[in-house]
Amino acid sequence: MHTGIQSPQGVWWKPVRGGEKLWVGIAFAWCLVLFAMMPLWHLRGGQNPSGIRSKVDPQAFMARTQEFIRTYQVGTENGIPVVEPPPGSDIYLMGMMWSWQPVLRLRKGAQYTLHLSSFDVNHGFSLLPFNINFQVVPGYDYGLRITPTEAGDFRIVCNEFCGIGHHLMIGRVIVVDESEPAAAGASSGAAIGGGNL
Amino acid sequence: MAKEGLPPGIVNPPRPLPEKAGESPEEHRTPGTLVLVLVFLAAFVVYYFVNWKLLSFVWRVG
Amino acid sequence: MSADFRTCPTTGLKVHAQADRLIKANAVVGVVALLIGGIAALLLLLTRWQVVHLLPADWFYRLLTVHGMNMLIFFILFFEMAILYFASAVLLNSRVAAPRLAWFSFWLMVAGALVVEWTMFTGRADVLFTSYVPLRATPWFYLGVILFAVGALLVVAIFFATLIVAKKERTYTGSIPLVTFGAATAAIIAVITLGHGAAIYIPTFLWSLGIGNVDAQIYRLVWWGLGHSSQQINVAAMVAVWYLLGALTVGSVVINEKISRIAFTLYVLFISMAAAHHLLVDPGLPPTWKVWNTSYAMYLAVLASMIHGFTVPAGIELGQRLRGYTKGLFEWLRRAPWGDPGFSALIFSIIIFGFVGGITGVTFGTEQINIIAHNTLRVPGHFHATVVAGTTLAFMGLTYYVIPLIFRKKVAFWPLARIQPYLFAAGMLIFSVAMTFAGTFGVPRRHYDISFAQAPFDFQFSPAVDLVMTAMAIGGLLAITGGAIYIAITVWSVFFGKPLEAEVKA
Ligand code: HEM
Ligand SMILES: [Cu+2]
Repeated sequence: MHTGIQSPQGVWWKPVRGGEKLWVGIAFAWCLVLFAMMPLWHLRGGQNPSGIRSKVDPQAFMARTQEFIRTYQVGTENGIPVVEPPPGSDIYLMGMMWSWQPVLRLRKGAQYTLHLSSFDVNHGFSLLPFNINFQVVPGYDYGLRITPTEAGDFRIVCNEFCGIGHHLMIGRVIVVDESEPAAAGASSGAAIGGGNL
Repeated sequence: MAKEGLPPGIVNPPRPLPEKAGESPEEHRTPGTLVLVLVFLAAFVVYYFVNWKLLSFVWRVG
Repeated sequence: MSADFRTCPTTGLKVHAQADRLIKANAVVGVVALLIGGIAALLLLLTRWQVVHLLPADWFYRLLTVHGMNMLIFFILFFEMAILYFASAVLLNSRVAAPRLAWFSFWLMVAGALVVEWTMFTGRADVLFTSYVPLRATPWFYLGVILFAVGALLVVAIFFATLIVAKKERTYTGSIPLVTFGAATAAIIAVITLGHGAAIYIPTFLWSLGIGNVDAQIYRLVWWGLGHSSQQINVAAMVAVWYLLGALTVGSVVINEKISRIAFTLYVLFISMAAAHHLLVDPGLPPTWKVWNTSYAMYLAVLASMIHGFTVPAGIELGQRLRGYTKGLFEWLRRAPWGDPGFSALIFSIIIFGFVGGITGVTFGTEQINIIAHNTLRVPGHFHATVVAGTTLAFMGLTYYVIPLIFRKKVAFWPLARIQPYLFAAGMLIFSVAMTFAGTFGVPRRHYDISFAQAPFDFQFSPAVDLVMTAMAIGGLLAITGGAIYIAITVWSVFFGKPLEAEVKA
């Protein structure tokens, strides 16, 4: 036999044998599994990045976000409006250098259509500590149907480089559990910082 | 064996093999590698499905 | 003409003087880029490790751009240019097809790289190596990249021309060796890659001058056609080097030429053209497109790597068994030349590339799983295992053979050379695994301050993150030590090394 730096002489198109044949077969079968899982999860799984996708002018998206804020605003925090949209509604989150607008107050177990876009450059939506990540691209509206499954006080970190203030870009999402009425009242007051209302 | 400053593969190059060597089925065996790649596949399968599991814990999104 | 050739006393190959010189020049510039990128790596590492948090924010992002460009583009590509000359002219006993053009391309690449360095270090291009529009750098930055890419494209053309010359002049008999075949697939992919590069950098260059517009999503789509297929060049080149190192260090055999060549061909046919797995959670593309273009239903590029992951060690095993190491399952591996840095680098490259880089990459590249991986530290964790512990380490191992075979020098600091692959591999293993873990907690990549000290809202990562970030720092420091030793050895050997005895002129 020869090495990989020698020119093979004559016909090298020879049948595959033994362990090698077995491995190619196993590896190919595994590759098919890798493929099959993706369509399968679309059918059965709860987390897919499909969304409702459309193009949008950044100015128009800004206008929609502001309209959304005007309609549902319940307070302000650190200069950022806090909104509490009704369950089932379309909600807007805009990334801009270097903040997320607005702060969202959502209900556990309710479904919303979250519209993500950017006013300027690419941003990265990263919902922590869950670790849910989406790319936020100017000119594109990513409409994701989300259902918060846990109550709490969450953060949206920007994880796409967007200029010198990138690491200062952090937003907030509060999820309240309406099935616990007493606790909900208390936590909602605390969560948006009371006095700002 | 290894002369200072020169890789063993140069000082003492691997002995060339006759073109016929390793062609017969008794000689053409690589059982050690088969074990290694199966360990690899097992690690792959475990990591892959653990990640599907991790994914299933996060919010529903679609 | 024949006076321009020497005969290599070790391999018996006839080496063209121009091939010698071109390989040297490209390798030396590559190592210089590695040094610049490595210094940036140290500073970045000490910044991301929040305990030290060394740099100010602007220099962190600036040096992140410097690190990405110097490592992923300049170092890797200059080295690959050297490999192209080696795999064509040297392995086929041929002359280099167009030496003047080759030198012109070399200087074009150097000029392009220098322009880019200047724009980065003067703060005119703080856009990271992906330079996603509408982040804007000075037009010079894009121009420098274009010059560099044109130079690289010319070298690829010279590579193919050399294959034709060798065939015409009958400098070899039979088929081209497997290593040359692998390098040829890397070169074909390079053409595809550089085509995407032209398609994106020319409009972006014009846009930076105020002419026309570039859509942010289309940019990402086409840019990753460049960015992703260039990684496939690295993979193909690395696998070619695996076969090469196997041959040089232990005389590993080609188990089956057909299978290995088909696997290389699969890389060409099934690189995801549009680089879908970088765009899995992007808004502009439908799920059918994403699922199809990551996998083409069969993941045949992954299959190709899994095949090489078998055939390379199996070739070593069979080679060793035929030379008498037949006991048990693993005598062939135990009794291998572990003190040969070419061999240890080869083995660690295969293992870390496959077990860490390969497994994580395919997993995160799954449409839905990408939701919990995109732009977190899992991503740099993955590619430091592939392109650093895989490709870079393989290239390092090869260097220990290139120094005596091409530079005709002894390897300096030999005892250090013997342990260098161990240090680098161990460091990179810890570093990339730690980053992958940190990313599992959602720690973002490309981020200056995860303590969010100045941010409007506070956020605390799980306390486990402090631990893994410390592990990342320790692993990174080990790897940087290994990298520094590598650079010291190469520079010292090349410029002050002891020459080998004069050899036979052909
Ligand atoms: C000695 C070893 C190295 C260390 C310690 C190191 C360290 C780092 C660090 C800390 C980052 C920043 C991660 C982040 O914040 O997102 C990074 C990014 C990166 N590294 Fe390395 N690195 C090393 C070698 C290399 C090599 C040899 C290459 C390529 C061949 C490379 C390619 C990259 C790339 C492409 C990025 C991403 C830049 C970006 O996100 O724009 N690294 N590295
Ligand atoms: Cu950002």
